[in-house]
Amino acid sequence: MNGEGDATEAVSTDNGEGLDPREAARLLAETEREAQRQFDLNPLWITVVMSAIVLVAYGALWLSTHGQHPYRGPSLGVVGLVYAAVAVTVAASVKVYRRATAGVSGPSVRQQQAEGVAILVSFVLGSPVLQGAMKHYRASDAIVYGVFPAAAPLIIVGTTVLGIAASKADWPQFGAALAVVITGVVAAFVGPSGAWLAAGIGLFIGMVGYAAADAFRHRRAPLGA
Amino acid sequence: MTADSLDPLIHAPARLRIVATLAALPDGASLSFTRLQDMLELTPGNLITHLRKLEDAGYLKSKTTGNGRASRTSITLTRHGRKALDTYTAALRDLITGL
Repeated sequence: MNGEGDATEAVSTDNGEGLDPREAARLLAETEREAQRQFDLNPLWITVVMSAIVLVAYGALWLSTHGQHPYRGPSLGVVGLVYAAVAVTVAASVKVYRRATAGVSGPSVRQQQAEGVAILVSFVLGSPVLQGAMKHYRASDAIVYGVFPAAAPLIIVGTTVLGIAASKADWPQFGAALAVVITGVVAAFVGPSGAWLAAGIGLFIGMVGYAAADAFRHRRAPLGA
Repeated sequence: MTADSLDPLIHAPARLRIVATLAALPDGASLSFTRLQDMLELTPGNLITHLRKLEDAGYLKSKTTGNGRASRTSITLTRHGRKALDTYTAALRDLITGL
């Protein structure tokens, strides 16, 4: 077996003699926690930061459209802010993904990449294409710039993630995706401005709930150590 | 049950950490030698020695691609190795409960 570089230094004889079982249990639990932390694609901190960004972005969209009669849609400044927020969260997610999967290979990594592509395609193509078609057929601004962009991405992307979570039997992710889909359905019926608020609150709760469930799942030590 | 009943191949600090780290990956996933070395903070020679012992027992398999300094080694925990860690963990739990 060859690692990179030379391996000519002295080798220690680590045969475990005298290793106390309690010490072994502590070492095992500690190593598992550290490995899970290093391989974690959804660390708690990034999910919490993303949830806060989502809440602020959707809140800004709601404030920007609140009280409009007739409804015209969010201001360009707010739309720019939202796109900047999306860019920041995507960049942070890519960085975390690269760090977590550095040196990792195999079928599971390819599956994660395929899942990422499926979510990206549903997000980038699903909603904007239909939004464009609605604009083309002269749907009202309340639909094109309010209800649809607020509710549709949640339903489309949420359903995609729901299928992925079900195929992996990842029940915390399944629950979070279901909450996002339900939020999208609710947002579709609370008016063009209210849709942004409902979507923001629902997404925030779904993301924080998933982060909490995931953290709880990872905190369980195999030996109660 | 005594500490002697624990699998001696796993019941050693470095090998326990190697197996536990690889077990945190999804089934069938491989980890590069360099990332494993970084995570465990072991010297290359030390890590190679322990990996050889575990590989000889069929607990893991390694694959090297490329030649010379460009070579890359990746390590995968086998199903046998994962099962051995599960058995070790269960035995350790029983042992601690009985203490």
